[in-house]
Amino acid sequence: MAAGSPVAGGDLHGLLALGTLLAVAALVAAAGRRVGIPTVPLYVLGGVLAGPHVAGAVGLPSIAPAEVLTLAEVGVVLLLFFLGLEFSLDRLIAARRKLSAAAAVDLLVNFPVGVVLGLAFGLGPIGAFLVGGIVYISSSAVITKSLVDLGWIADPEAEPVLGTLVAEDLVIAVYLALAVALVAGGSPVDALPRIAVALGFLIAVAAAAQLLAPRLAPYLGTSDEDLVVRTLAVALVVSGLALAVGASEAVAGFFVGVGVGATPLHDRVADRIAPLRDAFAVVFFAWVGLNTDPVAVAGVAAFVLAAAALSGPAKVISGSVGGWLYDLSPRRSLRTGLALVPRGEFSLIIAALAAASPDPTIARVIPAFAVGYVLVMSFAGTIAMSEASRIERLVGVAEE
Amino acid sequence: MTVYESDLPGVGKKHEIELHGGERLVVVTHNTGKREVFRRADEDSDAEKLFELSDGLARTVGTVLEGAYFQPVATENIDTVLGGDALIEWYEVPEGSELAGETIEAADVRQRTGASIIAVDTGDDVTPNPDPGAGVHAGDTVVVIGSREEVDEFHATFIESTDGDDGDGEGDGDDGSGTVLD
Repeated sequence: MAAGSPVAGGDLHGLLALGTLLAVAALVAAAGRRVGIPTVPLYVLGGVLAGPHVAGAVGLPSIAPAEVLTLAEVGVVLLLFFLGLEFSLDRLIAARRKLSAAAAVDLLVNFPVGVVLGLAFGLGPIGAFLVGGIVYISSSAVITKSLVDLGWIADPEAEPVLGTLVAEDLVIAVYLALAVALVAGGSPVDALPRIAVALGFLIAVAAAAQLLAPRLAPYLGTSDEDLVVRTLAVALVVSGLALAVGASEAVAGFFVGVGVGATPLHDRVADRIAPLRDAFAVVFFAWVGLNTDPVAVAGVAAFVLAAAALSGPAKVISGSVGGWLYDLSPRRSLRTGLALVPRGEFSLIIAALAAASPDPTIARVIPAFAVGYVLVMSFAGTIAMSEASRIERLVGVAEE
Repeated sequence: MTVYESDLPGVGKKHEIELHGGERLVVVTHNTGKREVFRRADEDSDAEKLFELSDGLARTVGTVLEGAYFQPVATENIDTVLGGDALIEWYEVPEGSELAGETIEAADVRQRTGASIIAVDTGDDVTPNPDPGAGVHAGDTVVVIGSREEVDEFHATFIESTDGDDGDGEGDGDDGSGTVLD
């Protein structure tokens, strides 16, 4: 999994490496889109093809993951920055009664399913904690896009679905903070001081976002150029410092986003920085692919299939209960569950974290598992939504 | 009529408007400004997308629906309450009105009614803030400002007195209800 795998065809460097990586990812995504596959797993696939394990193994020029590492990290920071930007504490508080119940069911059902799976496949407590996160978290961006594309956005199930996603986003911020500290090695007890430092840093960033950001917003500049440069500077400096103290750069990016989101600059920043996020996020997804050995993914196929078979239905059930808590009809509740089937980018962020673990089993198995899981679930989730009416009839909650 | 509003985190806002017979019109306003308009036949049925509009187009369609572009009902009487007792009304000047063919000054609008003409729309051309010497013709629309009593007086003097079928056409007006159409 780690960089420095044997490379036969020679490494591409610098601009050519980046350009080739993006070109391969774009080609694979364009091909896959014709058959209606979401793009995130396809970008990963592009990375797999361009990396040392495929292109390198057959003697073609390939790209070493380290070559694009920094740009991939920028991608992670911007993904979480946007999550923070759209995140509103006020909204969470306003919806807390229904939401907290639906969100609690979501967390209390799905996270343990992952933990049990992780333990059953011999990954130990930290590995199980990571698998729990991978099967719990769904991607707000991917699911929201599906809701809009299918027109479900105008139906009553949109509210519990989007509400649950908001809650998941908050949970994932705390979760990543803990995961970074735990993965760094040793027993959970050894990790305590690291957890304290990491959480302390993130609380400081969160407080600064809440208190200082509105006052600092005017200094982010009036011209678009200033706005982009200064916002990026703040986000990257804060997330870089987070890495330096052993906290999660992604979570730091999240809180910087929350801070900027609370200012009147919200819309302009979203507008100007979205293209940067799109480009760098692709580099991140492809970078995950560069690190992935297809043989390793095939090696964990049983694990992936078991996880898909358990966690998919678990999400449908927990989501249905969430919809029921929102007073929806059985049919709409089922749809809430179908929409929440996990997909997307955050499982890959957890995978990237696991790849840095000093525990060789975690570093080897979890990233391969996550890539396989994201590939399988992006199909499963897409099918769950597009075939909703058939599934409703099957379960016996369809109208008429 | 009830309008339900709800937040769609990361997307925008949703408004559901009750139509007749349990039917609902659903407008999803995206944070990008895009509006998607759906129809739901009843409580349980799925939304059926009717159309989508860009931000600018949605505003234009909105003003058309609101009647600001074209008002098929009672064009001679659209009033806008400004708050307090002030209001603005639009009247089409009928054939035979004392105002038709006169200047504002000669008709003595201000002295006789207390209301002022703040714009004259000939159909081809709008003159805002017209001179007292400006002429008004039958078929023009005049925009009048004043208190409720002054505007009523204007209506009685120049619009209604000349034309029997006009009806009284007045709402009670003091309920602060914004634009009143009859």
